[in-house]
This record gives sequence, C-alpha cells and structure tokens, in this order.
Amino acid sequence: MRNPLNFLFLASVCYSALALDLKGRIQWNDVCPDFAQLGRTQVLLDHGKLHGSVMEDGGFTIPGVAPGTYILTVAAHNHAFEKLRVDVLDTDSLPEIRPYFPGTPLSPPPTITLPYPIVLHARQKHDYFVPRESFNLFGMLQNPMMMLTVVVGGMMLLMPYIMKNMDPEVLQDFSQRQARISQMQSSLQSGDLTSGISALMAANEEPKGASSATTTKASAPSGVKNRGGKNKKR
Amino acid sequence: MTLATSRSSVQMLFGLFYAIWVATLCTLPVSALHASEVGIVDWHKIFIGVPLIGSSSISPTFHRVGSADGLTQSVVLAATSSNVLAALSPVNGSIVWRYVFEDDEHVIAFRKHGDVVAAVSGAGGANLRLFDAISGYLRLEERLHSPEHGRMFNPETLGTSIAFEPKTESGDLYILSNGHELRRVDGSTGELKWGWTSPDQASLVVYFKVVPTLAAVYLIGLTKSIASYTLHVSVISPDTGELVISANLPSSIRDGLTDVLLLSDSRNPELKPCMVWIESGAVRSIALSPELKGSGSTTKGSIYKGILDVGLSEHGQIVALKEDGTARVMKLEHDGLKVIWEFADSATVEHYSDSIYSGGFDKDGWPYVARIYWSHLLQKAYVHTFASHLAEGKGLETGYTFPFNTKDHGIIRHAAVDVANPAELKVIPRVVITTTTGAVQLWQQEQFLWSREEALADISLAEPVELPERKVIASHINLESETFGARLTRQLSDAKNFPAYASNFVKRFVTGSYASASSAVDSPADESDTIYRDTFGFRKIIVVATPYGKIYGIDSANGRVVWSRVLGLGWAAKVGATILPAKIFTIRTVSDGEKPQVVLVTQRKADNGLVDTVLFHFDPLTGEDVTTASLGSDLLQGHDVIPGELVEAFMLPNETAKAVILFDEFLQIHLYPDTTETQQAFKALLPKLRVPLRAGKPGARQLTGHEITREPEFTGRHVAFPTWTLTFPPGEDILALVPRPREPVASLGKVLGNRTTLYKYLNPHLVAVVTGAAPPAAACAVYLVDSAKGTILYHVTIPPVDGACDVKATLTENWLVYHYWDAGLAGTEDAKSYRVVSVELYEGSGVDDKIRSSDLTSCSNATTAFTAFEQAYVFPFGIQTLTTTSTKYGISVKDIILATKNRQVQSIPRRLLDPRRPHHKPTSEEMEEWLIQYDPVIPDDPRRTLSHSYEVERVRRIITSPSLLESTSLVFAYGLDLFFTRVAPSDTFDVLSETFNKLQLVLTVGGLALAIVITRPMVARKRLREKWYD
Repeated sequence: MRNPLNFLFLASVCYSALALDLKGRIQWNDVCPDFAQLGRTQVLLDHGKLHGSVMEDGGFTIPGVAPGTYILTVAAHNHAFEKLRVDVLDTDSLPEIRPYFPGTPLSPPPTITLPYPIVLHARQKHDYFVPRESFNLFGMLQNPMMMLTVVVGGMMLLMPYIMKNMDPEVLQDFSQRQARISQMQSSLQSGDLTSGISALMAANEEPKGASSATTTKASAPSGVKNRGGKNKKR
Repeated sequence: MTLATSRSSVQMLFGLFYAIWVATLCTLPVSALHASEVGIVDWHKIFIGVPLIGSSSISPTFHRVGSADGLTQSVVLAATSSNVLAALSPVNGSIVWRYVFEDDEHVIAFRKHGDVVAAVSGAGGANLRLFDAISGYLRLEERLHSPEHGRMFNPETLGTSIAFEPKTESGDLYILSNGHELRRVDGSTGELKWGWTSPDQASLVVYFKVVPTLAAVYLIGLTKSIASYTLHVSVISPDTGELVISANLPSSIRDGLTDVLLLSDSRNPELKPCMVWIESGAVRSIALSPELKGSGSTTKGSIYKGILDVGLSEHGQIVALKEDGTARVMKLEHDGLKVIWEFADSATVEHYSDSIYSGGFDKDGWPYVARIYWSHLLQKAYVHTFASHLAEGKGLETGYTFPFNTKDHGIIRHAAVDVANPAELKVIPRVVITTTTGAVQLWQQEQFLWSREEALADISLAEPVELPERKVIASHINLESETFGARLTRQLSDAKNFPAYASNFVKRFVTGSYASASSAVDSPADESDTIYRDTFGFRKIIVVATPYGKIYGIDSANGRVVWSRVLGLGWAAKVGATILPAKIFTIRTVSDGEKPQVVLVTQRKADNGLVDTVLFHFDPLTGEDVTTASLGSDLLQGHDVIPGELVEAFMLPNETAKAVILFDEFLQIHLYPDTTETQQAFKALLPKLRVPLRAGKPGARQLTGHEITREPEFTGRHVAFPTWTLTFPPGEDILALVPRPREPVASLGKVLGNRTTLYKYLNPHLVAVVTGAAPPAAACAVYLVDSAKGTILYHVTIPPVDGACDVKATLTENWLVYHYWDAGLAGTEDAKSYRVVSVELYEGSGVDDKIRSSDLTSCSNATTAFTAFEQAYVFPFGIQTLTTTSTKYGISVKDIILATKNRQVQSIPRRLLDPRRPHHKPTSEEMEEWLIQYDPVIPDDPRRTLSHSYEVERVRRIITSPSLLESTSLVFAYGLDLFFTRVAPSDTFDVLSETFNKLQLVLTVGGLALAIVITRPMVARKRLREKWYD
C-alpha cells in the first residue's frame, strides 16, 4: 500500500519537474489594434486553473503546465478569439497546437498543427446591440401581411386580363364559382367591416346583382367588369 | 381543367403564405439591447473594495508620477480586501484603473516607483506583476514559484518584500518571496538576473525585508528564539547574487513585525542604512555596512513603547511613541538616529481618540509627517502636519480640523497624506481616510472633496422593495370652518400644477410620447430624497446590507444611494463587535397598505466572544426605524431577539399576517413580530411547516427535516424536532441549498402540439442540493430532494475537477439548470467543455397524467410519480452564478440570467435550454410548441450580453424581481460591482412597441379618409351614369 503511494508521489514530482511554461502572444490586427482596445484579458487552459494574463505587448505566459491535453481559451471582454487545443507532451519537445471547435471530441486530433509559440488573432469585436428598426418601405413590404395584400392586389389587377383571354364557357363557370367564393367570404367576414365600408362608399345597394349582370355580358367594357369585381371583393 | 389549375394555384398561394409565416416563426427572435438604451435601462457602478490597512506595504498611499514636460499626475494607490489593486483619482475619486486578482491569489504587497507599480500576490508571494502607474496596463507578469510551494505566513505580508534598484535607470527589482528567496529581476523584460535562496531554509530564519544599496543588498530576517526573536542580516552582492556575509545581531524582539524598521535616506545616498528596533523600552539602532561591522546605539532617557513606519523609512524618518503615547519624529542623520520633533499634547487622553500617524510628500519630494486624531468633545477630526525641512530646517508644525461625520462613516482607521507647499510657511495637506464602515474619503484641509462607499463592494444581502405611488396628499382641512378667502387661496395653490398637467396632456395626445418599456424611470429634475414608483414599477429601492455595519437604500433607477444607516451595536458598543447580516425580509409591502417595512436579521459577534441574534426593523424608503429601539440614538438600533446564534430564519408562508420565524441553536422558535395575530397565523400553519436544516459536523453534513411541536414546551416556546435525516455519501458536504422560489405559477401544464398536456411537477417542498467537499473532493453531486420527507427525487454525480467542485445550480417551478466543467472522463475521448444541463420534471408517467402535485399532501406516495426530461449542452463560458427571471404573475417565459467569468451578465433564452428540443428536424407539431432542433453547442452570441461593454467584475449573486409589467423582470447583480438592468424574456407584449410609429398610423388613416373624400363623388357620379346608360 505504501509503495504505490510513494510511486505516485514521485510521479507527481516528475510531472511538476516536466511542467512547462506555455508562451504565446496576441497578434494585433484591425479588429484589435492594441492593448487599450483589448483591455484586461486572460488566457485560460481548460476551466481556468492554469492561466496567464495578456501583457501590454500582447505576450502571455501560462506557467507550470503539466503534460496533457488542454483547451486554450481567451477570456477577453469585447473580442472573440479562436479556441485552440494544446497538447503538452511528456518529452522535451515543444507542445503541439491545433485548432479546436467547441463540442467536438478530442480524439482523433485534427491533422493541422499550428506553430509554437502560440499566436492568437482577434476574430471579431463583439457587437452587443441590435439596430433600432426605423420606418422603411422595404421593411414594411417584407412583412408577410403586407406581402399578402400586395399579391392579392396584384391578382385583382390582373384578373380582368386573365378573364378576357379565357374561354367564355369557362369564364361563366369561373364567375359562378367566384360568386360562390365571394358569398362565402362575405359571410365569413365580420359584418361590421363590410357594412361599414359599404356605408362609406354608399354604393353597395345591389352588389351581387350588379356583378352577375356585368359578368354575363361578355361584350361589356372591361373597366366595368373590373369595378364590379372590385366591389364584390370588398 | 382550369378549375383544377386555379385551385392548385390557390393552394400554392396558401402554401407560400404558410411557408412565409413559418419562416418568420422559426427565426429565433433576438431580443437584444438597442444602443440608445445604454445607461437608460441599466446602470453599472464600479468599486475597488475596502482598502487593506495592515502594514505600510499594503495600505493606501499617494503616488505622484512626473512626465517629461514637468507636469505631475497623482493617484491614490490602494490594495483592497476584495483582492483588487486600484488607482483612484485624487481629484474626483473616480477609478483610474484597477486590477482584480484571482480569488485564490491574495495581493500581499505593492510598491510604487516612478511610473511603475509592482505587486506580489499569492501564497508566499508567488506572482509578480508590474503595472503602468497611470494607465494600469499590465507590463509584466512573472511567476516566482508555484502556489503549491508557497509558504503560508501569518500575516500574509510577512516573508515578501519588493525593492527597486537605487540606480533608477536600470529599472531592476529585488523581490523577496517565500521568506527565503531573493531575486533580481529586470523591470522591463522580466528576465531573471540572479536568484539567491537561503541555504538553510529549514532553519528558523524568515526574511521579511530587502534593502538595496549601491554597495550591497541587505536582507533582514528574524530568527525565533525561546521567548523572542533575534534579528538576522544577510548581505548579498547586487551584481552576482552571492552571499557576502550573514550574521545574527544581538537583539531580543517581542513582536517581529511591528518592532523592527529599516531606515535609509534616498535624498542622502551616502548615509548608511540603519536598522531600528525597540527592545525593552529603548529604541536601538545599528548602521549597516557590507562587512556588518557597525556598532549599535541606544536612545537614552525616555521609555518608548513602539516605533511606527509612517511610509517615510526611505526618507530617514520614523515616529516613536513614548510610554504615555507622546509621539516623536526621529530622523536618520550622520551620527545616528536623532529626535527632531515632538508632537505637543499627543499623549493618550480620554477626550481624544488614539492618533494615526502618516507620512506624505510634496511635489519636490520633501517628507511630511501628519498626525490625525478625533476629538470626542468637539466632534471634529484634527490634523497636524510636521515638515522637517521648513522654517530653515528647524521644522514646522501646522494644524487644522475637518468636520468628519462619524455618525455616517464610523471611525477613521487609516489616513494617507499628500502635501502641497505653495509658499514657505504654507502647508496644504490632502488626506485620504479609510473608515470602519468602508468609506474612502478625501479631505483637502477642511474641504470635503469626495467619498466612496466601498462597503458596497462587499454586499452580503440585497432586497428590492416596491415603492409606493406618488399620491396627492389629501389636505386635512376642516371644510366647515374654512373661510371663503382661505378656500380660494388653497384651491388656487392646488391648481398651480394644472397648466403643467394640461400641457402634458396635450403633448401626450399629439406626439404620442407614452411611457415605454425602455424609457428612463427617473427624471433628472427629481433629485429629492423621496422616491416614488414609476408607471411600470421599474423603479424600486434596493436595500443592501454589508458586513461593515452599514446598510444602504439604493435607487434602482440610477444606482444612487438614497439613504444609509450605521447599525448600532447595542450593549456590545462598550466592548466592540461586528454585525454580520444573515437574512433580510420584506414583512410589509406597498400592497399591504401603509409604508413598506423590512426586517434585517443579523448575528452580532462581540469582541468578548458572545454572539447574539439582532433584528433591525426599518422603513426601506428612508432607513428610519419603525420601532422605538432607536429613540435617542443617531444609529439604527436593533432588537436582541435571540441571546445566541441563529440557525435558520424564514418568512411565515402566509399572505395575511407576515412574520419572521427564527430558530435558535436549541431549535426553539422565535416569532417576530410576536403579536396575537402572527401567533394565530403561526398556529394555523404549524401542521404544514417542514423545515430542512443542515446538521452534522463539517465534512459529514446531513440534511435533516424538522417539524415543530404543536404545543409550546415548558420554556414557553415551540421546538423543532427532527423527522428524517438524509445522509450523503462520505466526502460529500452540502455546498448549496437552492429551494424552489416562492413565486406565482401561471400554468400548471404545458399543452403540446398534439393537444395533449404535460403537467408540471410543482412540489412546493422541492429543494436542490449541491454537494461536494473541499479539495480533494471525491465527488460532486446535484440532488433534488423533497424537503417534507427527505426523498431524493433526482440525483446526478459530477466528477470533480482537480479535486474541487464548481457546480452552480438554479431551480424554478419544475425546472432545474446546473452548470459545471466536464473534463472528459476517458482522457481525450470526450470533449472538454463547460456543460449546462437542463432538467424538467413533469407529473406522472407521460402526457395527460395528472397528480395535482402542487396541492398534494406531503405525505402522499404520489409525490415520487414524475418523469424527468433532461438535456445537456456545451456552454461557451465558465460562470460565477446563475438565476432565472421572475415576473409578477409568472406568465412570461423564464430565461436564465448568468454572470460569466468573462465579466459579463448574459441572458440565455429558455428556448435554447428547453430539455425537450427534438433531435430531428422539428415536425409541425413541435414547431407549434416553438421547439427548435437540438444542437449540442450553445453558441456565443454577444447580443445576449445584458451588460454589453460594462465589465461587471466578480458577480456573487444575481437577484431578479418582478415589475408591474408582466413582461419585464428587473435584474440586479452584485459582487465587486453593482449592475442593474431589466429584461423582457417574452418581449414587451404588454406595452406598445418602441417601434410603433404613431405618425405612420395617423398618416395612413388620414390618407384613407382623404381617398374616401375624393372617390366618393366620383363613385356617385359613376353610379348615376350607370343608371342612365346601362
């Protein structure tokens, strides 16, 4: 019982003897041009028990890293950095640095290795805000309700031309069906709305009769037909 | 055929619309901040913590940095109990820079030199850092030894010393660490020039001071003898780091830390450094030479009781205290130590407090010694300043008083001095004082410049309290006896606000400037001390209690301290005591009528060892006592409710008679307020009360459930008795108990896409228990326990990381969320990452299985019938703490608010953490439930950061509290900093949207009306024509 413990102790001593100071630096770029922009930043291994601070020149040292596999993250407040996988080896050779994507298994390791000492680049400056929506026509048109209205309106405009080109028999059939649909629609719609509009327009005394009368006459001017259809829709 | 095509085209059309509709539903709504809301919906106050004042190497000090153009800039440097090194601006008290050290790495000493501040931290001085004195930029970080090899000293500052190379241009540092290691380090590159380790580190010599001179570096240590310490000096070559000579000096020192000083004079470098110590009532000194051949000298005549390092030891001046307390300034001169001044009337007397002595410099670097004391008779603070170089070298003492407010800020504990000397006989000192209540103040002569309430960096408890509405104060006038003239004047004076009201009404009607969810709630004009509720109840008063014996009321609209009170010590005022806040309760809210009332339960630890439970009952709007305890006292006095320790305190779960139940160490029940009404309410609730308490020795803690005896015992009090015990596996200690918050639950179930219902498991006795042990921990675990009968409902073990447990958990309704670091069990097989696990409990075995868990009696066997849904996610950061939002009726979705180790406060939408996120592409039924496909990684989206560019340091707790708007929850985070904001997890559905364009609506309606007006005659004309021609 005693010997294995001793061995463990020795092993831990050996490990601490082999512990390495991981060095690297932050490469200033357009996203993060200097230390004033970066602010106080730490470079962490795993959950942060081993860590080092970024100094004014961008350099950092994480002291006493025992052999093993670590995930290196940069805890910067306003900038996003890539995560790296660091393999510190038992031998005297340099640690292996690889890219790492969160959530991926550590094995098998990616084939790409990055140079040591570690060079990190700020990828992005955090944008915490969403722009306030201002009134713009395009945005309004993107609204699904608006799109619906526009499409229906377009259909209404196009309807007379489609009907003009239709076979008279089909047309009759179609108009009957349309009348049915409109009947259904008007019954579906709340009475208040339709009656309110019709009262405003003061032109709705005989809606159905007018529409059927106009549509039966194929020779009637298209403009009239159009208006009849429009009235019906409303 | 055409029918078919037209039908299909209609279908297609509908399909298209449906697709558009679904697409708009599926894009995750990002409810983030607008840049214009910064500083309006949120505020952030930064702090440094209460300065440490233990020794001169750590206490606050002025530092002046000269620049090339001759201008100088001053900062006040301070290391604090919150583990921060900071520089304050002496002009306005703002923080110039601060550096927050890791929690396990205490700042031990700092030293200023030119434009550099050097600091050592960690066990035995493990780390060295150099900062730019003005910008605070980290210039260098160097590990001296691993923290495991650090020797622990008591006090921590022992064994560590920093000194700069006297030839300033080389910029080298000498660092003594761990009591026996000396290094010479290049100040710009951090390169080690040489290191020297005491060969006999096993011996009892502990070095505590390094003094570099051009010829030699002196290391001063202490050797423990039988009854006292003996001085030990080692001389080391500054170039090679070799030991030249080492010897014990014949001496016998009682207190090694305060009785030895080292004097040198930087203005007079040829003076040999001199070691000064006090031995049997005499001040002894010996000049140090590289050969250690100096001879000692002893003061004669007076008997001294102590010597003080006032921060001028490098300018050859110290203060020695005679037996009666009279202070003398001593100066190092060519022929040894000389008394150059005696402060008149500085002997200890009853009507003055003990004096504080502090050294300071003027712009030219001349030293000054200041004496600060408090006069109990005149209630004023006195400052006497002595300048040795003025009055033709004879020395000049000047004095003045300043009106320090002892009722609000306690007692002055420390002072740092900086002096301006504009004319020969004119001395203008600036004094930075640190008080017992944690205030840091700067006084320029009698003029008060600024004050910082640093106790707010160490808040123990916080409670947001709803404010009353602004009411028109009803005029209590006897209407019958009022004359016509008096009535007219009264009505005219009442009507004086009418024009403002009318103009406001018109303005509101025309421009549509309604109160919106993101508007400011405090009007800048309203700086009065009475604060009122705003339209939506966003404004509250946050009552905070600190361990410095002071409580504050903070306006949640802007973070301003509305009132503050110092807590009275009661009978312990004679012996001294500290008051540690334990619990805080709002026992009367605005909705109960009258004014709100708050009860603060504290433990008073008197300096003679007695512990009492003291209760303070006050008005949260003003801090005034609502009882009679504080009559005739300037302080807020409490009631001694229990003559002993407090075990637990909670509010009676009752809406009508609100009372606090306190358990003393014998588990006897104390009720506050103890009225017949509250006693009846307590009696009525007795059979239902189940109280889980932690019991057992540290390391083998148990959770023990208690019930309360129905009838009082012979002592006249009800007593709690244990009914069940839950023992955790060995090595698992209770780290945290997270009870289900008492808040309204809007829906008992969740209707699924297929119109079935999952009923939430809403056991009112649910408690989450996080267990683990101090390192080396065997296992960490999270339990869900039914605290009525000790049933473990849910249990998960989490592997400890490096022997420590860092599991954070929160519980609301039927939802448990916990966060931990997963190191990957099988080495490199797994991913290493932070994990957040979301667990939801639903009643019965599946859908539509209902057991009415919220109303079940706690004895029912059905309380264990539930189904757990759980899912784990990879989380991008480590967190400090987490909680859920809370709203008035609990209808809004609950988001998770957490503080990351990245100094941010974030909100994580519930949709991302939903444990029922499907692993496949969501079906239309699941889409109807707003479920999104499972993705193991929760992406880092900066728009979720509530604190945006604010760096919210060291958040210890986040409190959420409801506003009057159901959609909006108030978030208050405290730790080192304070941060407040408001969030709307389901968007502000109950107020008109910010983007609502009233102008657009008015224009559209107007346009339509115009179109009708134009087309109406046209249509009429047309119809008429149709009638004629058709």
